[in-house]
Amino acid sequence: MAVAGYDINKYSPAKMMALPVAVLLVALAIVGFTWIGTGMPVTAGIDFAGGTAVTVYTTDDVGTIEAVFSGFPILSVTEGISGGTFIKFGPMADEEFEELNGILSTRYANAKIDHIGETFGQTLQQQAAIALIFSFIGMAIVVFIAFRTFVPSVAVIISAFSDIVIAAACMNVAGVPLTLGTTAALLMLIGYSVDSDILLTTRILKRKGKLEDKLTGAFRTGFIMTTTTISAIAAMLVVSSIGGIEVITQISIVLLFGLIIDLMNTWMLNAGILKLYVERGEGR
Amino acid sequence: MKKANKKSERQRQTRDERTSLYKDWRVILMAFLIIFSVASIYILPPNFSSGPEGNLQLGLDLEGGSWIQLEFQSEIVGFETQKPLDTFMEDLSGEMDADIILINEDPAIAEIRKPYTRDELEQVFSSLGATITSYNKGVSPVTADDIKRILEDKVNRLGTKDAKINLLTPAGSEFPQYVRIELAGVDMDDAYDIVGKQGKFEIRIQMAGNETEHVLFGDAIKTVGMPAQNPPGSDIWGVGFTLDEQGGNSFRDAAISSGAVYSPSAHNIMMLLDDSIIYNAPLSPNLADELKSAPVRDLFASTGSGEEGQEKARNLEVHLRAGALPVEVKIAGSGSVPAELGEHFKTMSILAGLFALFTVGIVVYYRYREPNIVLPMIAVNISEIIILLGIARYIQQLDLTAIAGLIAVLGTGIDQLVVITDEVLHEGRVPSPNLYLKRLKRALSIIMVAATTMIIAMLPLALMDLSSLKGFAIITILGVLIGVLITRPAYGRIIMSILSK
Repeated sequence: MAVAGYDINKYSPAKMMALPVAVLLVALAIVGFTWIGTGMPVTAGIDFAGGTAVTVYTTDDVGTIEAVFSGFPILSVTEGISGGTFIKFGPMADEEFEELNGILSTRYANAKIDHIGETFGQTLQQQAAIALIFSFIGMAIVVFIAFRTFVPSVAVIISAFSDIVIAAACMNVAGVPLTLGTTAALLMLIGYSVDSDILLTTRILKRKGKLEDKLTGAFRTGFIMTTTTISAIAAMLVVSSIGGIEVITQISIVLLFGLIIDLMNTWMLNAGILKLYVERGEGR
Repeated sequence: MKKANKKSERQRQTRDERTSLYKDWRVILMAFLIIFSVASIYILPPNFSSGPEGNLQLGLDLEGGSWIQLEFQSEIVGFETQKPLDTFMEDLSGEMDADIILINEDPAIAEIRKPYTRDELEQVFSSLGATITSYNKGVSPVTADDIKRILEDKVNRLGTKDAKINLLTPAGSEFPQYVRIELAGVDMDDAYDIVGKQGKFEIRIQMAGNETEHVLFGDAIKTVGMPAQNPPGSDIWGVGFTLDEQGGNSFRDAAISSGAVYSPSAHNIMMLLDDSIIYNAPLSPNLADELKSAPVRDLFASTGSGEEGQEKARNLEVHLRAGALPVEVKIAGSGSVPAELGEHFKTMSILAGLFALFTVGIVVYYRYREPNIVLPMIAVNISEIIILLGIARYIQQLDLTAIAGLIAVLGTGIDQLVVITDEVLHEGRVPSPNLYLKRLKRALSIIMVAATTMIIAMLPLALMDLSSLKGFAIITILGVLIGVLITRPAYGRIIMSILSK
């Protein structure tokens, strides 16, 4: 029986895994390419690269704003949906920033300002990398303890890894910068990703019955499970982008990418590996 | 007859299940926590005037205000040397143009209050016959505490309400390297003024009667020591400070012209910060004698004995610095959200939460088409959020990223209620209580593993000082814990009781 037009029992394990593996390879190429080009797997936002982001609420047009701040390292000026104009500056010295502050407080009072120094940005990069590594290792340990069998555990871990890499590649393609917020979203994907994988693995390995039935049942539950989460996140994305809340918009975009990718990775990649494993009789 | 029996038996069973629902500890606990949470937010203490947020602590991005994060330009260096420590420290101070403080003797650890790279320091140390064994950026915990006090004192003196000052230590280091100052309701320009501003420090001397005369201003003070006992081990506390040459002369001139050198006990030395007296004590006889012959530049202000004396010494040190920090700092980052924008974000956050809940409700209804399942699901989900907010009110301030965490928790919550429902029901029917409880247990074990991974994945962020994502991580972990331990097991019982009617 098919849910959402996908019959999980129709394809051989090799066919199931082909698409996710291909997508993963493309994603690795995109991420690797960005890494070589920028030194970061995803283009860094100001949290990591250092710089200043200002949102002003004004009737001034882009040209006027550019003229006002011509003495500062402007990177971009863009108009947002909800009347705010985003101005991004590259890194600047403390004195220069205080001067910028002076101009902002006289000319554009009520501006939202975020400023991160270049060295602090680098420290944040290291800290984020530490968090990502520890999260991933921690997740892997929990998965191994929970299943105590090699292949199924590795399948879950590969699928989580793939979720993160592909989500990172999507960020590059869609131009979503890596910030503290989006890093948190990637970390959260580690948790979300494992959610449906665990459902699948438990149903297949710890329940009695025909493999086909168990796969169908797991897929039904898993699909509705992930789609409810997707709908919650989509709602968050809609409201936050209308409301001009940049952090939440970015977090929801990354989670949305990740959850959609997770559907593919869980029900094609992970399910494919498990099917192969069970059919070869090792799962009994 | 037989049939009727069965029917009445089933009715009895249902009644048992329903009464047992009110006795089930998970359900009772959930109900209690919901009441407790609502009370925490609105009644403990009563708070109806501040709108929907009640007693919840809101972050700067929802409340409006500014933050500044400063990075200490100093290092903590462990070293080894064959020389006696005192001589080495003297040599080192002579060699380097920086405040250097020995914070531990064995092993020897020094705090160097200016920015140097490890290479630069290694050159200096090896030229003095010492080797560096460890190098960390940051300050000692004592200095960090000092900095915090100085900033708190300054912020309080300027009458800023709602200020939060936190020391931050990067993961992998034991030394605080940053201090973050959050000022609610203050714009960026003012925040910089407050943090950068120094107080006006003055020393005056008592003349005949109650008249006082100006001696020197704060710019004449070169260095300020830490609270210390003088003489060492005497339990008489105080703070040492050094005057520059001109300040030393002014101090001697004033002591002579006022007559203090001849009758020290009749001439108090007063210290004022922003024109209010912070220290007032007579000149010591010893110092008076010394001043007769030459200027004295190393002075010591006693504050008394015991813990009280020590506490006073700490405060005096803060005042003597007049708001200047003992180490150089650089701006690591800063940010500002205007109050109106914070208000807008608050409204949007509430909308986002409601809209997410509504959407989830529709999706779940589309799947089950059974109000008896969908309504309890949504109700449990709402309870989860209420309990989460109620507990968060005591431990975590909510900022925008924490709101994102909250909505994500709402998503995971529904996720797992779906797992429970699908695991225990077969085609919308409840099996016998025994089988049901067995399946519920199995469902909860799936959820347990998923929840553990989520908690583990968020743990590094929750423990890390630096990122502003602590709130996000703590809310997520808390949400998952509440769900797994309380609301989801309770849901299992509730759905069983409702569907077996």
